[in-house]
Amino acid sequence: MSLISQIISQLVNGLQSGSIYALVALGYSMVYGIILLLNFAHGDIIMIGAYVVFYAMTSFSLPPLVAVLLAVIACTLLGALIEKVAYTPLRSAPRLSLLITAIGVSFLLENGAQLVFGAGAKNVPSFIDGGVQIGDVYLSYVSVVTILVSVASMVVLTFLVQKTKLGKAMRAVSEDMGAAQLMGISLNRTISFTFAVGSALAGIGSVLYICAYGQASPTMGSMLGLKAFVAAVLGGIGSIPGAMIGGFVIGLLEALVTAVGLSTWKDGVVFAVLIVVLLVKPTGILGRQITEKV
Amino acid sequence: MLKVDNINVYYGNIHAIKDVSFEVNEGEIVTLIGANGAGKSTILKTISGLLRTKTGDVILKGESIKSVAPHKIVAKGLAHVPEGRRVFLAMSVEENLEMGAYTQPASSIAPNMQEVFQWFPRLKERRRQMAGTLSGGEQQMLAMGRAMMSGAKVLLLDEPSMGLSPLLVKEIFEIITELNKRGMTILLVEQNAQMALSVAQRAYVLETGRIIMQGSAAELLNDDSVRKAYLGA
Ligand SMILES: Nc1ncnc2c1ncn2[C@@H]1O[C@H](COP(=O)(O)OP(=O)(O)OP(=O)(O)O)[C@@H](O)[C@H]1O
Ligand SMILES: [Mg+2]
Repeated sequence: MSLISQIISQLVNGLQSGSIYALVALGYSMVYGIILLLNFAHGDIIMIGAYVVFYAMTSFSLPPLVAVLLAVIACTLLGALIEKVAYTPLRSAPRLSLLITAIGVSFLLENGAQLVFGAGAKNVPSFIDGGVQIGDVYLSYVSVVTILVSVASMVVLTFLVQKTKLGKAMRAVSEDMGAAQLMGISLNRTISFTFAVGSALAGIGSVLYICAYGQASPTMGSMLGLKAFVAAVLGGIGSIPGAMIGGFVIGLLEALVTAVGLSTWKDGVVFAVLIVVLLVKPTGILGRQITEKV
Repeated sequence: MLKVDNINVYYGNIHAIKDVSFEVNEGEIVTLIGANGAGKSTILKTISGLLRTKTGDVILKGESIKSVAPHKIVAKGLAHVPEGRRVFLAMSVEENLEMGAYTQPASSIAPNMQEVFQWFPRLKERRRQMAGTLSGGEQQMLAMGRAMMSGAKVLLLDEPSMGLSPLLVKEIFEIITELNKRGMTILLVEQNAQMALSVAQRAYVLETGRIIMQGSAAELLNDDSVRKAYLGA
């Protein structure tokens, strides 16, 4: 296999995992942008989505597309529910309480999943098989679908945030909560909407993740969530295009590390990036300074 | 039109507003003057629902709004132009105006915007520009235009002259007077007492959270203690 085709294969791998990171990072960034919360339960929403796909396809023998839809719906509802039950009552509490609550929700979901689904990993039947050989590069359909679906989701999200009334309200609230209320924007509705959209993206991410790795386990969300979090910080937490860029950069970086034969160092390198970003440019690539106002 | 009845507002343990009552009648410009930290902004935030009073009531058109959520108060016809403008810097002029009309049906956005552009032609020229790139004066115009987009009948203005050149201050105050002539009821908070008293019909003087004086604007303009404390005479 020539060097060029090796580079292309790794590039595709990087873009594939990068697009999953980007989808998950978007949820972190949107939520942080609007209520300054690092929602550590976000990764675990993905895990629930993965189990929904698993049970829908195995126990209920539903067609893959239906399973996917159910997973996205379940994640959306779960995200909005968590926000209502756990975070809304803390709207005026110190930010640290909110953060600790998020960690608590994450534990609850992980341990709850262990209790309900069992601690072992479940193999999810693959539903996108095959690929094409182009020269000496093998392109799997999973990679292609993952990249296309992610990019399409990001286009839809961008439209939603830039052009729709609720999307504009989201931007207004994330810039200045008080002023947004004075416009007649309901905080509760806008924040719920943000959680729902972020969680829907996580749902899509969860489906793409099991297409790639074929397994659901109670702790699968934590590593994926952490890496997506790094991607969000790298891109500039609170920034939507930043999360997209950060996700792809992290994915490509991992592919690069793997390509040079250091795949065991993959995770280490990602977290080293976090440390470097926090030291050198804490606002990330596209981040803005967040100023707090009443 | 708007009645503030014996409110007491706290920031934690800090008692910022003490037994304040006042009234703004329909079609009036009433001004609230006072030094830094007197509590002017706190009162406006309490009226628009961003802060809550422990006692008393806030009444808009005969209806208590002291427990109504801020986003619902706008829909009742009261708009608040906050201190420091607080326009959405990362949004265009047009988008800021759209946000102002958030409670209005979509069909009213275009005509309302045309009207705002008539008041502030400069905003029309800059409608696609990000609000963050506007000058201070233009941002003030945008903040006022944005409030007008809501179709409000009562306008709360918090230091519209802050940081503006004398020429722009004059322009803004002419617009305030003109808006009032066309039926807008206005509660104006100012440190520029001279300007405020020259456009208002009545005034209240606030000192460390209490109203210490009230009367017609003309009376206060000629009052010795007011002249000493607020007009630098
Ligand atoms: N968020 C807050 N937390 C604690 N105290 C506050 C807060 N905001 C205002 N205060 C205090 O409440 C008092 C009234 O403040 P307010 O902002 O209403 O004054 P103001 O009359 O609008 O002053 P200025 O002319 O400087 O705008 C001040 O003593 C201020 O220090
Ligand atoms: Mg003030």
